[in-house]
Amino acid sequence: MLRKEQNDLLTQTGPGTPFGQMFRCYWVPALLADELPENECPPVRVKLFSERLLAFRDTDGKYGLIDEFCAHRGVSLWFGRNEEHGLRCPYHGWKYDTTGQCIDVPSEPIESGFCKKIKLKSYPLVKIGPVLWTYMGPPDKQPPLPEWEFSLVPPEQVFISKRLQESNWLQAMEGGIDSSHVSFLHRGDLGSDPLFKGAKGNKYNLSDLQPHFEVVEQPGGLYIGARRNAENGHYYWRITPWVMPNFTMIPPRGDHPMHGHFWVPIDDHNCWAWTYDFHPTRALTKEERAAMEAGQGLHCKYVPGSYRPLANKDNDYLMDRAAQKAGRTYSGVEGFAIQDSSLQESMGPVCDRTKENLVSTDNGIIMARHRMLRAAKAYQDKGTIPPGVDPQHHHIRSVSIVLPPDQAFKDGAKEALTRHRVGAAQTTV
Amino acid sequence: MLSESARMTTAEEARCRIDYPNSKPRATKIIALDPQSEAVVKRLAQGKWQQASFFTSVDFDGAPRGGENWSMKAWLSDLAGRTKDLIDEVATADLVVMVASAGTKPKTAGVIAEACGVRKVMTTALIIGSDEHTDEELSRTLAALRPHAGMLVIASDDDYIEQMLVALRA
Ligand code: FES
Ligand SMILES: [Fe+2]
Repeated sequence: MLRKEQNDLLTQTGPGTPFGQMFRCYWVPALLADELPENECPPVRVKLFSERLLAFRDTDGKYGLIDEFCAHRGVSLWFGRNEEHGLRCPYHGWKYDTTGQCIDVPSEPIESGFCKKIKLKSYPLVKIGPVLWTYMGPPDKQPPLPEWEFSLVPPEQVFISKRLQESNWLQAMEGGIDSSHVSFLHRGDLGSDPLFKGAKGNKYNLSDLQPHFEVVEQPGGLYIGARRNAENGHYYWRITPWVMPNFTMIPPRGDHPMHGHFWVPIDDHNCWAWTYDFHPTRALTKEERAAMEAGQGLHCKYVPGSYRPLANKDNDYLMDRAAQKAGRTYSGVEGFAIQDSSLQESMGPVCDRTKENLVSTDNGIIMARHRMLRAAKAYQDKGTIPPGVDPQHHHIRSVSIVLPPDQAFKDGAKEALTRHRVGAAQTTV
Repeated sequence: MLSESARMTTAEEARCRIDYPNSKPRATKIIALDPQSEAVVKRLAQGKWQQASFFTSVDFDGAPRGGENWSMKAWLSDLAGRTKDLIDEVATADLVVMVASAGTKPKTAGVIAEACGVRKVMTTALIIGSDEHTDEELSRTLAALRPHAGMLVIASDDDYIEQMLVALRA
């Protein structure tokens, strides 16, 4: 349970909100690099943290993320002409560069220098791997670029997708650190999905439905360890790192690619659920990539031409009661991604946490909230940069491992939980 | 066609979620396992709680050890210093939270967990003060508690216990 003020604090991320200010300390994924595939391509509307922005790529390949609306009379620049080093508003011809600087006001004499007085707010937009990242905080506090492993491996080793989730970001993120739901909601898919099946670890998952948990703080956030019984009194551990405020990496299964999520607020009622898959040591196989493109694993199928899932609230997520009854899927909804989104969206746009009844296995969620509330306060009071901003905090790995019963995962998997080098082999069962 | 789900997930519909209590108070028993955590638990006991009670098992040495049969009296002290019967306390608990300080090797966790096991009561253990101790010391405490807790949490600040208890409606 959270008090109403705490719930409001963590779920409101618009300009000027305390948590929104803290969230703006981080580089976040803004859009897929493929959405701006070439120079002078059409601009893309991007809403992040309740701010309406426009992303474009100019004649020289420079990326910009600027205020969506023309400073003259407020037209959406999405209608703009992307030409000759800038984006020109089609209404009266005002033109802007990728920093939002107005570079031409045709009605005014060039000599007057009027256009220099016009500048739209802009944020940096940087391509790292398959993603364009932005930083929306104060320019003087801009941290070094992020160093997440999936964005640093060669392109043939990674696949990333995003989907619209019609709920607040927090209930989506909390689903990612809610380890105890996997044995129920996703039970049907562990054995059948091509990106999960066949791993030895799955056997432990399905044979011990009452895992024990250990929650350990780490500099950037938390490690949430779930242990299940393995052979000879040993434990099978699945260790999920959560890096503040919105990143997780799911423990690997066998030699399948590693994967995880980012959740980025669009506004207080919608977020982007980003899903990456990468293999640290090899290219994704043709079959793996095809499965991902087809929406398997943690990805999904889309309404054509959009990032809205094909199974969405308007069609009851294609609920299949027969599959539910027969146990082919536990909830009747198909696929990990939509199993999650259907339930998380069903909570309402912003989950009312004053009504919830958490239990002790929810300690990962309780601790994550605690850390975020604490960090937001420290940022408000003292300007303390929150955990997870420092690129060192991105050098983490999820791990699945079998350990002797008296060994703490923080010791037994210490090396494995740190990414010492991009492309080192992962630790997995 | 507007489906049921589409309506359900709107802000307007969310406001119609009925506002009646959906749970009864649950009994949470918080037990300090060593003198340092006893101080923390004592401080917590000052707060306003729904149905939480606070104990210490520091003076547990006189109590019988685990493995004896379950009619045995194992003893806890509540914070006023009265003696409580462990089994009775566990029997009326929905959750038992053990609090231990990093670096200690809590002797009483086993017998408490055994009582909880008999009564099928969920156990959680919190380790506090991890900042002041070496990794090995922390690991020792972890290893001592691991067999006895369904959920084991290392909390770097003492505040966390309070936050957790509030979150669990203690
Ligand atoms: S059982 Fe967890 S939300 Fe219903
Ligand atoms: Fe899930």
